[in-house]
Amino acid sequence: MDWQAVTVSARLALATTAILLVVAVPLAGWLAFSRRRWTVAAEAVVALPLVLPPTVLGYYLLVAMGARSPVGRWWQEVTGSTLAFSFSGLLVASVLSSLPFAVQPLLAAYGGVDRRLLEASAVLGRGWWGTLGRVALPLSRAGLATAAVLTFAHTVGEFGVVLMVGGNIPGVTRTASISVYDSVQAFDQVAAGRTSLLLLGFSLVVLTLTYTLQRRGGPGWPRP
Amino acid sequence: MTSRGSRGSALVAVLALLATGCAGPASSAPEPTAGSVVRVAAASDLRFALEEVADLVASEHPDVEIAVTYGSSGQFAQQIGNGAPFDLFLSADLAYPEQLVEEGLAEAGDVFSYGVGRLVLWAGEESPVDPSDGLAALAEPAVRTAAIANPEHAPYGRAAVEALREAGVWEAVEPKLVLGENVAQAADFVRSGNADVGVVALSLALAPASGADGRWVEVPIELFSPLEQGGVVLAGARDPAAARAVRDVLLAEEGRAVLASYGFSPAD
Amino acid sequence: MSGSLTVRVRRHVVDAEVVVPLGGAPVTALFGPSGAGKTTLLRCVAGLERPDPGSLVAFGDEVWCDDDRHVPARSRRVGLLFQDHALFPHLDVDANVAYGLRGVPRSLRGERVAEAMATAGAGHLARRRVRELSGGEAQRVALARALAPRPRLLLLDEPLSALDTPTRSRLRVDLREVLVRSGTPTLLVSHDRTEVLTLADRVAVVVGGRVLQVGSPAEVFGRPADAAVARVVGVETAAPGVVRSRGEGVLGVEVGACRLTAVDVPGEAALGPGDEVLVCIRAEDVALELPGRAGASSPRNHLPGTVTAVAVDGPLVRVDVDCGFPLAAYITRPAREELDLVPGSAVVASVKGPAVHLVPHPQ
Repeated sequence: MDWQAVTVSARLALATTAILLVVAVPLAGWLAFSRRRWTVAAEAVVALPLVLPPTVLGYYLLVAMGARSPVGRWWQEVTGSTLAFSFSGLLVASVLSSLPFAVQPLLAAYGGVDRRLLEASAVLGRGWWGTLGRVALPLSRAGLATAAVLTFAHTVGEFGVVLMVGGNIPGVTRTASISVYDSVQAFDQVAAGRTSLLLLGFSLVVLTLTYTLQRRGGPGWPRP
Repeated sequence: MTSRGSRGSALVAVLALLATGCAGPASSAPEPTAGSVVRVAAASDLRFALEEVADLVASEHPDVEIAVTYGSSGQFAQQIGNGAPFDLFLSADLAYPEQLVEEGLAEAGDVFSYGVGRLVLWAGEESPVDPSDGLAALAEPAVRTAAIANPEHAPYGRAAVEALREAGVWEAVEPKLVLGENVAQAADFVRSGNADVGVVALSLALAPASGADGRWVEVPIELFSPLEQGGVVLAGARDPAAARAVRDVLLAEEGRAVLASYGFSPAD
Repeated sequence: MSGSLTVRVRRHVVDAEVVVPLGGAPVTALFGPSGAGKTTLLRCVAGLERPDPGSLVAFGDEVWCDDDRHVPARSRRVGLLFQDHALFPHLDVDANVAYGLRGVPRSLRGERVAEAMATAGAGHLARRRVRELSGGEAQRVALARALAPRPRLLLLDEPLSALDTPTRSRLRVDLREVLVRSGTPTLLVSHDRTEVLTLADRVAVVVGGRVLQVGSPAEVFGRPADAAVARVVGVETAAPGVVRSRGEGVLGVEVGACRLTAVDVPGEAALGPGDEVLVCIRAEDVALELPGRAGASSPRNHLPGTVTAVAVDGPLVRVDVDCGFPLAAYITRPAREELDLVPGSAVVASVKGPAVHLVPHPQ
C-alpha cells in the first residue's frame, strides 16, 4: 500500500477544497445574484471542466503553465522550480478541474434563498458582501457542505489531468489514483487491489454523506 | 467599509498560507533533504532491473535516494522539454537523450549508453498461442488480440511495428493490435490474459512477477533497428554529482551484470 | 421635517408622479387594484428597482434616483415592511430586530431593540424563534425591525394582506397608533379600502400605473375625480346619465328612465344641461322601503324598482335593485329580514341629493 501516494492525494484534496470554498462562495454569489446578462457565459465557463475531457484540460494547462510559457517562466524566476510537474502546479490544475463541483451546489443553494430576505437585508443597510455572508450563506449550509464534500472527492479521483500536469513524481505528484495505474504496470496486483479498495470505500462514504446532507434539509439547513 | 476590507485581507492571508505550504514539495514529503534524492525518469522496460540497481546504489551510496518514475521514453522526452524536474533520464532509445542535448537541456558529454534492448514475442500463462512459431503465428485466427507499446512515443512499440512489417504480417496483425501507453502496460495486457500475445521487452518477460509459465521467443534482431538504450544526466539536475553517482553504479560491473540478467545486451 | 418626497417614476406599466409632504400628518397611501403598479412605485422609492430614464426620486433636497445616479437601497435609510414579514429564519427575534443597527455601538443596541419592539407591540416576543411566531406576531416583529434603525421614511407594502381577518382588524388599529406615535413619514401600498381609511392621512389613487387623484380619504372616497377613480374606490353604483336641468342649487339628471336630483356642488366642474355624466351612488347611501309608504321626506329621490339579487357581505346585505338602471344598496341583516326582501320583491329606493355624485363622463 503506497501510503506516500495516499498522503499526496489527501494533501491535494484538502488544499483544493480549502481554496475552492473560499473562491466559490463569492463566485457562486456573483453568478446567482448578478443581474448582468453575460453571467450566463461565465456560468458556462465555470461548468466547462464537467464536460471537457481531462486530457484537454491537461493540455491547456501545460500550455499555460509549462516551462516555456510566460506563467511558467515567471514562476521559475520567483521560486526556482517549475510550476508544471510540481505540487503547486497540480494544485492549480486541481482547483480548475474541481471548480464546478464547488460552485454548482452553492449556486443551487443560493437560488433557493427567498429573494425578499436579500432585499430586506439591503434595505436594512447591508452591502453585497454583508448580505452574502449574513443571509445567503447561512441559509445555504447544505449547499456549502455538499460543495466541500464533492470537491474533496473529485480531487481524490482526478487522474487524467494529474497525470498530464503532474508527471507521476513519487511523493510529489503521484496521487493514489496514479499509484494504482503504476502498480498495474509493475504487475503488482496486490498493491493495486488494496489502493483501489481504499478509494472505492472512500467514494462510497462520500456519496452516502452527500445524500444524507441533502436529505437532511434543503437550502435552509440547519435551522436554529 | 471596514468589514469588507478585513474580509478581503483574511482571504489573501489564507491563500498565501496555502500557497507557501504547498510550494515546496520536498519540504512536505517524507524524504531526506534536497540534494540526495535523485529523480530518475526511466523507460518502463527497466522497471524490474532498476529496482535491483537501486539496491546497489543504496549499498554504495547510503545517503543517496532514488525516486523513479517509469513511463515511455518519448513521453519523458516531451515532459523534460516542458520542464519536468528530473535529474537522470534512462531511455529505451538513445535518440531521445541526444534530442535533449540538441534542445539545450543536457550536455553532450553527459550522454551515455547502457545496453541494447531485446524484443520478444510473449504469450502469457493461459494463452492459447504458441510463440515458437515466431511472428507469423500472429497472423493466425487463434490470435485475437496482440499487445504492443504505442509506437508514437515508445521505442519498443516502434521496434515491434518494424518487426511486424519486415516479417510480412503487418496487414494481418494490425487490426488485432492493442496499444499500451508504454511497454510495461503492453506487457501487463499479456500477463493478465487480456491480450493473447504481445511483442514486448525481454526484460519484462524475464521478471519474476511476470509469472513462471509464460512462454517467449526472441524476435530476430534483423527485423528491426537496434534498441540502443541510452541515458543522460540532465542540465537541470539539482545534484549532478549524485545523479552521476547513480549512473556510475549502473555502468559498473555489478550494474552491468544486473542488466545482463534481465536480458539487456551490452552496449556497443 | 420639511420638504417632500418627490416621486416621478416610469417603469413597466407605471408612469406616475406623486409628491408626498414630509411634515405634518405622516401617512400617505397608494391605493388601487392589484397590478396597478403601486408596489413597483414603492420599490423604486426603496431603491430595489431602478426606474427608466426620465424618472426622479428625491427625498427633500437629496436626489435618490435620476438619470445620472442611483443611490442604492442600503444608503437611503428607509424602513420596509413586506406583505409576509420576510424575517430571517436563521436568526431569532432579537437578532432580526437588531439586524439594521450596524452603525449603533454595541452597548446601545439592546436598548434600541427593546424600544422598537415595545413601539411595535412585540415586547413579549423577545428571544423567540421566527418559526414559532404567528402571522400577526411576525408582522409586528418585522415592523420593529424596520423601525429600530430610526429610518427617515417608512414603506409598507400591503402590510396586512397576508393576515387572517381578525388579526388584520386588531393589527390595523395598532398600526395606526404606531405610525402616528413614531411620526415617521410613511408611504403605504394597499388595495383594501378599510385599511386605507384607517391608516392613511392622504390617499393617492393609482390605476393602470397612473396617479389619478390625490387627497384626503374623505375627498377621494366621497368625491372620486373621475370614473376610473370611482370604480376603484368602490362606488357601487355608477350609471351613465345626462344632465337635464340646473337651478336652485340642484341638478336634474336623467338616468335610464328615471329622474334624479343631485346637489350642484360649487367649485366642482360646472355641469349644464346636455352634459354626459356618470352618476355615482354609494350603496351605504341607499335606503330601501316597501312600496306604499307615501308622505313627505327629505330625500329627493324615490325610485321604484324590483330586487334582482340579495347577497350577504359581512354584517351587511347587498341588495341589487333594477329601477330603470342597476342600483346597489347596503342594508343591515335585520332590515332585510324585516322587509323580507328576496329577488322579485318590489321596493322603493331612497337616495338623498347630496349622496348622488356626478362625475363628468363624456361618452
